[in-house]
Amino acid sequence: MRDVAIIGAGMIQFGRRDEDSLLDMLAWASLKALDDAGRGESGVDAVYVANMGSGMLQHQTGIASALVDRLSLLPAAADTVENGPASGASAIKNGLLAVASGYYDYVLVAGGEKMREVSGWRATDFVATLTHPVAEYPYGVTLPGMAGMFTRLYMEKYGVTREQLVQVAVKNQRMGALNPYAHVEMMITREGILDSPHAIVNNPPVADPLHLYDACPVSDGAAAVVLCSLELAQQARKIPVLIAGFGQATDTHTVQERDDPTDLKAVTIAAQQAFARSGLKPEDMDLAELHDAFTILEIAESEHVGFFPKGEGGKALMEGKTSLGGTIPINVSGGLKARGHPVGATGVAQVVELVWQLRHELPPERQVPGARNALAVNFGGFGNNVLAFVLRRVDQ
Amino acid sequence: MKEIQIVAYKCRACGKVHYPFHDRCLGCKGRDFEEIKPQGCARLLTYTQIFNLPWGFDQRFLIIAIGEFENGVRAMGQLEADAIEGLQLGMALNASWEPVRTQFGERIFGLRFEPLP
Repeated sequence: MRDVAIIGAGMIQFGRRDEDSLLDMLAWASLKALDDAGRGESGVDAVYVANMGSGMLQHQTGIASALVDRLSLLPAAADTVENGPASGASAIKNGLLAVASGYYDYVLVAGGEKMREVSGWRATDFVATLTHPVAEYPYGVTLPGMAGMFTRLYMEKYGVTREQLVQVAVKNQRMGALNPYAHVEMMITREGILDSPHAIVNNPPVADPLHLYDACPVSDGAAAVVLCSLELAQQARKIPVLIAGFGQATDTHTVQERDDPTDLKAVTIAAQQAFARSGLKPEDMDLAELHDAFTILEIAESEHVGFFPKGEGGKALMEGKTSLGGTIPINVSGGLKARGHPVGATGVAQVVELVWQLRHELPPERQVPGARNALAVNFGGFGNNVLAFVLRRVDQ
Repeated sequence: MKEIQIVAYKCRACGKVHYPFHDRCLGCKGRDFEEIKPQGCARLLTYTQIFNLPWGFDQRFLIIAIGEFENGVRAMGQLEADAIEGLQLGMALNASWEPVRTQFGERIFGLRFEPLP
């Protein structure tokens, strides 16, 4: 197996993009990644496109075939990859394995979703189709509802507090306000969403005990990366970022069948695999992008990947350990919470952000100084399909 | 009252109880199951009150809960309560089989919990 590196990364701003089609967004992010890789005038051998819902939301299927045509990448192999909110990381995994095996030299991976085209209740229903069609979906449970039930148990078992959840939202929206690609560029304060008399109006409950600002926005957006072998990457014009380790694990479809529903086993296993394959440990990481679709998930994942013992993630957050300048900055991009969550794009966007961080290309106000190693976790369903990547800067 | 239509599956090899159906046991990979029905009252494992409802619901909020029956069957259902303030993890629930949503003009039946008085 060959070592695989990322040599190009591109992204468009997430948000509400009424004028842009899904193919527009995928094409623009892809062109940025190809240009960044120095392959804007040439081709790739294969394209993997992450998308969860174009068939339901845009009444369009065969997105990968449409994208290679749009980008004149013919006759490149093209596949669409659907793995719910973890589609992005799954598509990168497919690219990684294809290059590592030696079948392809250059692979483009693009992820995109256009969710704001439909009403809020349609978008909520679309995401809720991830739940079990017999044992969960008929009851009207939503992904925020799944997160609400998980939060209640996590608070009960580990003592996570409302103040800690609010701190995740405040921290990530502060960082999102510095990220020109973020959907939400608005800072919030603890007073505004927790302490003041207006907090209940500003921040109403959506899935008790979770409130509006505990949830990520519904977004449109796209992101892309170009992969090749490390050997070829050494000839590229930008500093390569090695995919040093990868892991993926699954768990039961219904949360109720997990022996301990607060135990995100798939997160733990995926992260352990990624660390083992990279030869690195949680303490070697300089930053991480964790899947904070809900504030509780950033805290829980920070524990499950091994940054903190169980029950200590919230405390570490409040001590500033997960802020920029802390021991392990988490979601310096603003995370899903502020960057947004166009479901097919998210896993790719996490990696794009980390590539920029590891190349030291970001402005000082949001660059982790000297970053060399980073972790990404992309969380599908409600923890039933999780992928993790350990990325490492390769100095030339 | 309609009978609860949930069928759970107890592995004949290791005794693990499954709901919903799996072709192989989550514990021992066995394929031989005894069909069982939820029995007795349920214990409230967790719950949430959701306000942003998906397509197909025309009401202000829903309370969704997971309960565990006396014979180990765990299942999700809607919880009937005026407000969530009186709910406690671990409390006893009564369960019934009621309409839980309407799809394409058809009533869909499912599990409905209610706190025991």
